Amino acid sequence: MPTKRTVLFMLLALLIVMALTACGGGAAPAEPAASSGDTAPATEEQPAATAVEPVTITVWDYYGESSPIVPIVAAFESANPDVKVEVQSLDWDTMLEKMNVVLTGGEVPDVVTLDMTWLPTYAPLGAFADLSPMANGKLNGVPLDEAYAAGALEAMRYDDQILAMLYDFDVYALYYRADLLDEMGLDVPTTWAELSDVAGQLAANGKGQYAFMADTFHAAQFLYENGASILNEDNTAAAFNSPEAVEAIAFYAGMVQDGSAYYWSTDEGWEVTPGLKDGRIAMFSDGAYYMGIMKDAAPEMAGQWRVAPHPAGAAGPGSYMGGTGLAIPAKSDNQEAAWRFIEYAMTLENQTGVFENAGAAPALLAALESDAVNAADPYFGDQQTLSVFLQAMETATPFPYVRQWNDIDAAFTVAMEQVALGEPVQDSLDAAAVEVDALLSK
Amino acid sequence: MSSLSVPAFIRGIRKHGLAYLFIAVPVLAAIIFLLIPMVTSFWWSFNEYNGIQPPRFVGLDNYVKLITGDKIFRHALKNTTFFVFFGMLIGPTLGLLTALLLNQKVRFQALFRTAYFLPVMTSLVVVATIWRMLYNRNGLLNIGLAALGLKPIGWLSDPQWAMMSIVIASVWQGFGFEMVIFLAALQNIPKELYDAAAIDGADGRRKFWYITLPALRPVLFFVYVIGIIESYQVFDQVFVMTSGGPVYSTTTLVYYLYSRFIDLRLGYASAIAYVLFIILIIFSLIQWRFFMEKD
Repeated sequence: MPTKRTVLFMLLALLIVMALTACGGGAAPAEPAASSGDTAPATEEQPAATAVEPVTITVWDYYGESSPIVPIVAAFESANPDVKVEVQSLDWDTMLEKMNVVLTGGEVPDVVTLDMTWLPTYAPLGAFADLSPMANGKLNGVPLDEAYAAGALEAMRYDDQILAMLYDFDVYALYYRADLLDEMGLDVPTTWAELSDVAGQLAANGKGQYAFMADTFHAAQFLYENGASILNEDNTAAAFNSPEAVEAIAFYAGMVQDGSAYYWSTDEGWEVTPGLKDGRIAMFSDGAYYMGIMKDAAPEMAGQWRVAPHPAGAAGPGSYMGGTGLAIPAKSDNQEAAWRFIEYAMTLENQTGVFENAGAAPALLAALESDAVNAADPYFGDQQTLSVFLQAMETATPFPYVRQWNDIDAAFTVAMEQVALGEPVQDSLDAAAVEVDALLSK
Repeated sequence: MSSLSVPAFIRGIRKHGLAYLFIAVPVLAAIIFLLIPMVTSFWWSFNEYNGIQPPRFVGLDNYVKLITGDKIFRHALKNTTFFVFFGMLIGPTLGLLTALLLNQKVRFQALFRTAYFLPVMTSLVVVATIWRMLYNRNGLLNIGLAALGLKPIGWLSDPQWAMMSIVIASVWQGFGFEMVIFLAALQNIPKELYDAAAIDGADGRRKFWYITLPALRPVLFFVYVIGIIESYQVFDQVFVMTSGGPVYSTTTLVYYLYSRFIDLRLGYASAIAYVLFIILIIFSLIQWRFFMEKD
């Protein structure tokens, strides 16, 4: 009976398609929170029992092996016998995916390490608790505006809320090959004109180039240095096609066009390290965390590199301001205990641990001024590297916290890719601005 | 259908209780992990939903926006179709050719078979990482081009090339699967047919055309259905090699879906999933008519 077979076959085909598209529908399945071993937060309904039975807070940590959080847990627990801490180690990518899954209806952790560039997506949705009532203007007794630099505080704020305590910070400075500059008798560039000149001379002599990267982190640095910005003042329209912005991007892309910069593109992978090792790259811009990467990946280059403030444009220095924040998901049941853990992680002693364990720059000003953090770094020719980044933080700007940020970031990056391939700067940025304006008008 | 009365069904359960129990496990798994998420996702696709705030019903808005107003979606559809077309053009052809070669009495047949199949068993992420190195500006492929006196190609940085580069890497990774299936099917074709054809004076090409190819038809169907369904969902290679760039040139449907998920736009992501689902059903039906109806 062919008709019956037909129906059967179609059903079968449908099933196969369904089975194989299971990945395509991947947005749907709410993965059951992997923390099956959790002791459930069962005690809060019995006030009498809370004193005896410790409450367990779950901490998600994306630092991985070099975690500065894992080492402080034991001391925190002995100081706070009513709280038990369970740390889950994740990597950055996994954490972003898992966080989306649990925020959309799973059992949330109580404290998370939060890449500050994730905040634009989460903040407008109210995914994280406002820390200001818990902090009451202070962190471990120190007023917040004394504990943090102004740029850091700006990054932590959304509307009139404070959504994270900045734990380490990320701003960009110039990494350069001191040995090659010495050899050529060149000074460290401090302005764009000098940058172009030094990079040009290095390149002309086969000593490597300045790295051009098309991502928003790197491109935005040139915008800020020229007094431009990504969006306008009240985040309602694109500003990256303003005259100052076009001038900045034309300068940056011009370095690719004249051969003084090397377009570090998708051909080469995400990190510039291979280019450092084989000598293609002699200067680049990146955050303090990159020092740790270099020490791991290029130990043989010890002594060759230094860091300096990134060359200033017409408007002075500038950088994007990011880093890692500690935040409490709004759905957490243990916010009070979670806040105590955050405060503990933010003590001076534990903040220097961020540098010692993760090689990242601690966000607390007191920690940045401490001797432990400012030791001479033999890899960088005994330079006190973190002071360079601290200096950069004072003029750094966080990315705008708007819900459409990921799409804005993508549109701007596409324009930068086009510019790197030689397309006209004004046209590329204008086209991206039209898209961004449309996104923001919604 | 008259034989399926209720008492008969109950008798059936009594008699084959254990068998039903065994069937129940995958059926339950399919319901929990497939059917329920699919229905949920279908519902989300009519909502604006970020997972944190309650969903807001928007009717067909997501679909309308996707099809009429979304430039990136059009890129994704175009890129994915490009990937499927060239992948399905080259992959199975290459698989069939190698299978035909290996079906001869070649020496070290097992060795070749293993060698061609090895990439299939390798993780796609590993393969993509290795190919990314080959595609480097100073990578092996460009060194080869330079040796031939040709200009280097921006394999993954030139929007004209990037999708083709992903196709090449994917075909290399996947054609061994098709080869093994074709080889198995070839070895199942009765020798008598070829003998009879030889007696009738058929040459090699005719034998291929009138015996081999018809005998392979069900297998061809299988290879193309599975191949197209899988190709339309290309993701890992893009994730590892290009992140959808440069200039949207490698943004595929599932990569775009993923980026919407990461951006907590679950309704929109679900709509993309259903558009993809409909495309796949249409393809499966077309193929089924094309390959099976002649029987």
